[in-house]
Amino acid sequence: MFKDTRDFIEALRAAGDLQEIEKEVDWDLELGAISRLACEKDGPAVWFKRITDYPEDRTAFANPMATWRRVALAFGLPAESSLKDIYAEYEKREGKLIPPVTVKSGPCGEVVKCGADIDLFDLPAPMLHDGDGGRYLGTWDIAVSRDPETNWVNWGMYRFMVYDSQHLTGFPRPTSHFGKVFQDHYAARNQPMPMALVIGADPISHFAASATYHIGGEEAALAGGLRGAAVELVRCETSDLLVPANAEIVIDCEVLPNSVGLEGPYGEYPGYRTGEMGNGIFCRVTAITHRKNPILTIDATGYRDDSSTITALAGAVAIKRRLERHGVPVLDVNIPREGAVHMAVIGVKYGGKQVACEILEILTSRRALISKIILVEPDVDVFDMGEVFHAFSTKCHPAYGIHVVHYEGRANTLTPCYSQGERAAQKGATVLYDCTWPGEWSREWEVPVKATFETIFPEAVRLKVLKEWKAYGFKE
Amino acid sequence: MALKSEKQTWETFLRRPSDLREGVEIPLVLRDLSPGRNKYAMRHAVAVASRKPQDKENMDLLHVRTVVGVRLPETWGVKIVRDLPTELPGKPYHDFYEALKKAAATGA
Repeated sequence: MFKDTRDFIEALRAAGDLQEIEKEVDWDLELGAISRLACEKDGPAVWFKRITDYPEDRTAFANPMATWRRVALAFGLPAESSLKDIYAEYEKREGKLIPPVTVKSGPCGEVVKCGADIDLFDLPAPMLHDGDGGRYLGTWDIAVSRDPETNWVNWGMYRFMVYDSQHLTGFPRPTSHFGKVFQDHYAARNQPMPMALVIGADPISHFAASATYHIGGEEAALAGGLRGAAVELVRCETSDLLVPANAEIVIDCEVLPNSVGLEGPYGEYPGYRTGEMGNGIFCRVTAITHRKNPILTIDATGYRDDSSTITALAGAVAIKRRLERHGVPVLDVNIPREGAVHMAVIGVKYGGKQVACEILEILTSRRALISKIILVEPDVDVFDMGEVFHAFSTKCHPAYGIHVVHYEGRANTLTPCYSQGERAAQKGATVLYDCTWPGEWSREWEVPVKATFETIFPEAVRLKVLKEWKAYGFKE
Repeated sequence: MALKSEKQTWETFLRRPSDLREGVEIPLVLRDLSPGRNKYAMRHAVAVASRKPQDKENMDLLHVRTVVGVRLPETWGVKIVRDLPTELPGKPYHDFYEALKKAAATGA
């Protein structure tokens, strides 16, 4: 299993999933444009070796896990693994936690900058999209924070923007675990919250940070379980927070309880730059430490970015577990990549209005990140979007098969279809398209018979046709 | 580093068009578009902005972007009157622009 970003880069190189760019590339939009196009082409990860305005020991590595091939490789699976296999492997590993171990020192502290020596502009943070609020240093990161009452340590992946040489602004949503701990335990007492922004740890630690995980759950232990080996942690330079020892860069900060700055707008994972701006948090940097020749890791956010794989995978399994806990007859959940973590396909043993409304209630009660749900029965493979689209088109009643729940104070403010007013009030809605047959319909008399090879022919005929297929003259 | 006689170029973000009033002192968040590795550093200031050609001659340049990041075609002139603190007093997760207005009004 990979101990750091450098190991992972080597593996990607060996698998043919890495593009190394030796030509000088400008951090101001050019790097972002290359990385964005690479995402949209399902291209390789990109390692930028020469960046305008920066010495050659400052490089950047973009889109670490933006394809299923790279997710598979990060998990130690064959690159060609199917989506179903990757989901199954994650489900198998996510319950086995391995707590982290603390070490005395690590490469992330090879270079230390404190006090007046702190200069965020020493790092080649890119202007990723034209019109973003600023240069985003934190995109493929781990924001480490701690609940002072329970000592619960939370890892999350959130966006952070360079404000000036010694300040960052960021947007961990107010409804996120980070936002909740900060507001309840620090801002409420007018105390700054220590935070470490970790850039370029091993890929699975970043995966764990982005995962939908329960309050009180330690993502560091999740990462250990997913890796099959404990993550080594080391103490930060200016706080007692612990961070992955092999990380490329660590920014020690205090999140200020009484200061604000402009944050955003930013071209985000839904594939749009919404008007979510000026509602974030403000951080004072207390130290920057990094490895020699630090590699800045980047998620070129937008359509089919890293979240379209990793956040989708972990989110889908989290939804499945949550529905199971509530007794919903769930079979499988898929958050399709092109749905930008806004749409979930949920397969159930049986559906109907009661199950549909229960699912809506469960998935929107605390925070509502998914705004579209497609509910299907076992005749549909949730991972086969052709089958899902067919079911949606034919089985969802246009008047009675659509269920909507409205909410305020917990909507996803990055959802592009919401108005600025809805965004400000965190107001939104989730719709469920019920593509299951009504439970009261008779299977013998009312439920239409699906006209596919598997469902509309007697078994004997199907077996004969399959056996004789090539004899009829077909090649495949 | 720009010479004193050279015009500096700034950019600001607005929530709505009416937030940029002409010829009066208003609080603005300005980002420095000077080329180099410190490009896009932020500054809080009270400034006067103008679209009048005669005013613009003696002012820095100001580009304006909307809440969704679209740059408007018209370039303004801007003159910084005084700086506001970088660590601007305000409540996290609440409107930055309200905090900016408050700081300007209280002479922070």
